[in-house]
Amino acid sequence: MSTSTPIQPGPGRAAIRNAASPGPGPSFFRVLNSEFIKFRTLLSTMILLASTAVVMVGFGALSAWGTGQFADRAASDPEAAAAIAAQGGDLAVTVPTSGVAFAQLILGSLGVLLMSSEFTTGMARSTFAAVPKRLPAFVAKLVVVIVSAFALTAVSTYIAGLAAVPILDNFGLKLDLASAQSVKLLLVTSAYVAAVAAIGMALGTLLRNSAGGIMALVGLFFVAPIVFQLIPGDFFEEARKYLPGNTITPMTAVKHVPDTLEAWQAALVLGAWVVAPVVLAIVLLKKRDV
Amino acid sequence: MIEAEGLTKVYGDKTAVGGVSFTVQAGQVTGFLGPNGAGKSTTMRMIMGLDTPTAGTVTVNGVPFARHTAPLREIGALLDAKAVHTSRSAYNHLLAMAATHSIPRNRVHEVIDMTGLAEVARKKVKGFSLGMGQRLGIAAALLGDPQTIILDEPVNGLDPEGVVWVRNLVKYLASEGRTVFLSSHLMSEMALTADHLIVIGRGKIIADAPIKDIITGKGQSRTRVRSDQPDRLMHVLAGTGVSVELQDHELLEVTGLDPRQIARSALDNQVLIYELTPLQASLEEAYMELTKDEVEYHSLITTGAPVPAQSGGN
Repeated sequence: MSTSTPIQPGPGRAAIRNAASPGPGPSFFRVLNSEFIKFRTLLSTMILLASTAVVMVGFGALSAWGTGQFADRAASDPEAAAAIAAQGGDLAVTVPTSGVAFAQLILGSLGVLLMSSEFTTGMARSTFAAVPKRLPAFVAKLVVVIVSAFALTAVSTYIAGLAAVPILDNFGLKLDLASAQSVKLLLVTSAYVAAVAAIGMALGTLLRNSAGGIMALVGLFFVAPIVFQLIPGDFFEEARKYLPGNTITPMTAVKHVPDTLEAWQAALVLGAWVVAPVVLAIVLLKKRDV
Repeated sequence: MIEAEGLTKVYGDKTAVGGVSFTVQAGQVTGFLGPNGAGKSTTMRMIMGLDTPTAGTVTVNGVPFARHTAPLREIGALLDAKAVHTSRSAYNHLLAMAATHSIPRNRVHEVIDMTGLAEVARKKVKGFSLGMGQRLGIAAALLGDPQTIILDEPVNGLDPEGVVWVRNLVKYLASEGRTVFLSSHLMSEMALTADHLIVIGRGKIIADAPIKDIITGKGQSRTRVRSDQPDRLMHVLAGTGVSVELQDHELLEVTGLDPRQIARSALDNQVLIYELTPLQASLEEAYMELTKDEVEYHSLITTGAPVPAQSGGN
């Protein structure tokens, strides 16, 4: 800090530069690259990603052990056997994704933080001075959030599966990670978590506040379902099905359970829960002062 | 070149910037001077497209900032020393900024060396002093080698060596034909750095002139006069555009007449004067004079302990 090089901002490029074409500007792929650099250069982001993986794999292993115990009991307990039958007879297949409730909380919060921290730190002024149209920066960040949440959930689910197979094997249960149902569960769960992260990012953009954004996310996914269950009345019972956190069950069901949404309906509902806040976030981001 | 036309920003019922028009020319350092809260930062944020003007327009090289195809290569700005995610290193911050415009990695190293940040570039910005934060902000502003450079209070928090460095840097940039627009609330800093001065107070432009004119223009016509007939002299000198103030027994301060005119009137009217001193206002005084009615907060200092600042009454 004690010495600064003599001033030499550039070899007089300002004078000789062709005014008509100053050089490359913020194209979408350049902005995407920038957002990816921002994503990978924050230690806090890496810690959240690592904890998600640990939680997913840990829950997978724990759930494998619990499921094995349960299956053992089913051999002598007709009630437990009936419960297994109700699940389609295949308990093991849901083991790898058993940590999804926590993964969605962590990665949803990450979605909030990646945008809210832009505003709380003042980084947004740098970001939107470089990309004054704002929309490309938002979309690029959204792509980074969605892709990373999907990829991390998919990989963690697969590793959780690998960890679960030998444990289940001990109890005489078979888990085929390559079966159609396993693959479907992995893909749908990953897409679901990516959707939650996108909702989180939209909330972070709207509220511009980390605590507020995470609170809103928790309220929507964890508090609202309970509140809707507690309030008596057909309306709330029906409305409960349309909460974003309740769309995962119909989407991953082996076969349609009566009185629930069809898988495609649940997917549409979740899609609407993503699109609405994202569109609102974009409109306000374009309009508000940074 | 930066051109503002009727630029206005209203927050609720408070007008931060009230219809200012000015032009910042290339090839010189233009100072943007005003007390805190005068609207300097708001104006600069509007130039950068971060705040939308309530009314009016501002263009950089004839085009609104957001419409430039490569904004960082047109305009570099230091708006806030900590417009940075403080958990990221200075190098990674600049790298992410550079990536948006495909600015090569070696340019990132160049601006780091140029701003004297080489030793700390890999450290988190969180631990930076205000001065280091300013250097990082200046590095970011220079990243795209822009034709126009906007710096909001760049010397804030810099050590004396850094202050001199910024002074030389902005002069050098202007000498290369770039447009340099620099804000400060310190008149003394402007006196040493700027070629042209735009003075703002309470959201309005108070002065827009070459710095020389501002120093001389305001001070020239004040003259201190002592006479044993102050009342009679006051009467004699009175006229349009002339103000005479009795400051003490036999001491007058005359504004609006030069010493020769005062001496002539005194002689014609047989009034003895025994002091005639032209008062050259310092830039600091000229600034105070310009903005005394425009500052939002005055401090009342009586003999003894300073009194907390009160909200301005005029």
